[in-house]
Amino acid sequence: MIEYLTGILLIIGSFFCLVAALGVIRLPDSLTRMHAATKAGSLGAGLLVIAHAVFYQELGISLRAVSIIAILLFTAPVAAHLIARTSYRSGEAISDRTWIDELKGNGGWPG
Amino acid sequence: MPLFILNIVFAAVFTLLTGSARIGVFMFGCILGYGILWLSSPLYKDTRYFKKLPKTVNLITYFLKELFVSNLRVLWDVITPGHISRPGIIGIPLDAETDLEIFLVANLISLTPGTLSVDLSEDRKTLFVHVMFLENVAAARADIKNGLEKRILEVMRS
Amino acid sequence: MMTGNLFLSGAGQIAMAMLLAAMVMLLWRLAKGPGAADRVIALDLLSVLVVAFLVILSIHTGKSTYLDVAIAYACIAFLGTIALVRFIHKSGRKSGLHPPQSAPDSTKGGSDD
Repeated sequence: MIEYLTGILLIIGSFFCLVAALGVIRLPDSLTRMHAATKAGSLGAGLLVIAHAVFYQELGISLRAVSIIAILLFTAPVAAHLIARTSYRSGEAISDRTWIDELKGNGGWPG
Repeated sequence: MPLFILNIVFAAVFTLLTGSARIGVFMFGCILGYGILWLSSPLYKDTRYFKKLPKTVNLITYFLKELFVSNLRVLWDVITPGHISRPGIIGIPLDAETDLEIFLVANLISLTPGTLSVDLSEDRKTLFVHVMFLENVAAARADIKNGLEKRILEVMRS
Repeated sequence: MMTGNLFLSGAGQIAMAMLLAAMVMLLWRLAKGPGAADRVIALDLLSVLVVAFLVILSIHTGKSTYLDVAIAYACIAFLGTIALVRFIHKSGRKSGLHPPQSAPDSTKGGSDD
C-alpha cells in the first residue's frame, strides 16, 4: 500500500517538474517564465519530498523532509522576486500580450 | 509563544514514551498536547495561542488549496499549443505595514500560481504584482486583498 | 508485497527519466536564452531539479543519506542564484546598458555603492 502511494506521488511530482521546464521553454517572456519555474518547480519538488517522508515514516527523516520543504518554500519566492525585479528594471522585452502595466514610470534605479 | 514550545515538548515526551519514532505518533502527540493545553486554558491569563493557531491552520490550508487549484491553469497554458494567458502588472495598495507582514504578503503572493510580486514602491504602500491570467483589474485586486492579505493580517494581528 | 516493490521501482525509473528530460530542456534554455534573466531562471530551476533528483535517488536506492545532501544543496544553490542576480544588477548599471532614470553616470570604473 505504501509503495503504491509513494510511486503515484513520485510520478505526479516529477510530472510537475517536467511541466515547469516545459514552461521555461515555451512561455513568451521572462516574467511569465518565472511563473512556471517558481510554482510548478517548488510544488513538484515538494511532492517528491512528501513521497520520501511517506515511504520512510521515521521521525528523523520526516523532520528533515519538512526542513527541505521549508527551505524550498522560503527561498523560491525570494529568488523569484529578485530575478523579476532585476529583469523588469533592466528593461528586458516584455511580451506584447501584456495589456496593462501600472509599474511603468513608478520603479526607478536604484532600489 | 511559550505555549507552542510546551505543546512540542508534550509531543516529544509522548513519542519517547511510546518508544516508536514515527511521524504519525508525533503528530498525534501534538494534537493530544493541544487538547490538554486547551482543557487547562483558564490557567493561562493573557495568551493568544488558542486564537492564533486555528487561524494559522486556516491560512495554511487556504494557501495549499490555492497552490493546487490554480497550478492547473498554468499547467494548461503550458501543455496546450497556443497561449491563453493575458499577463499584466497591477499595483495593489497594501494594508501591511511592518517588514514581516510585507515579507509574508509578497512571498505568499509569489508562491500562489498566476501571481508574482515584482516590485515595491518607494513609500512601501503599493506592491506591484504580475498577474498571468488578468481579466478584470478590480476583481483581481480585490481577490488578493480579501483572500490572502486579510488572512495573513488576521494571523499577525490577532 | 512483491508487486508493490516492482511498481515503486518502475515509478522511480519513470520519474528519473522525466526529470532528466526536464534538465535537458533547461540546458537548452540556458544556452539559448535571449537575456541574462532567462539564464538565471533556468539555473535556478535546474538546482531545484537536482534536489528533486537526489530525493528520488534516495527512495530508489534505499539510502536515506542522500536527503542530507539535498538539504545542503538546496541551501547553497539559493546563494548562487542571489549572487548571480546581484552581479547582473550591478553590471547592468555600470555598463550603461540600461539607462538609469535619475542621472546618467557613464564613467567606467567609477565607484558607485
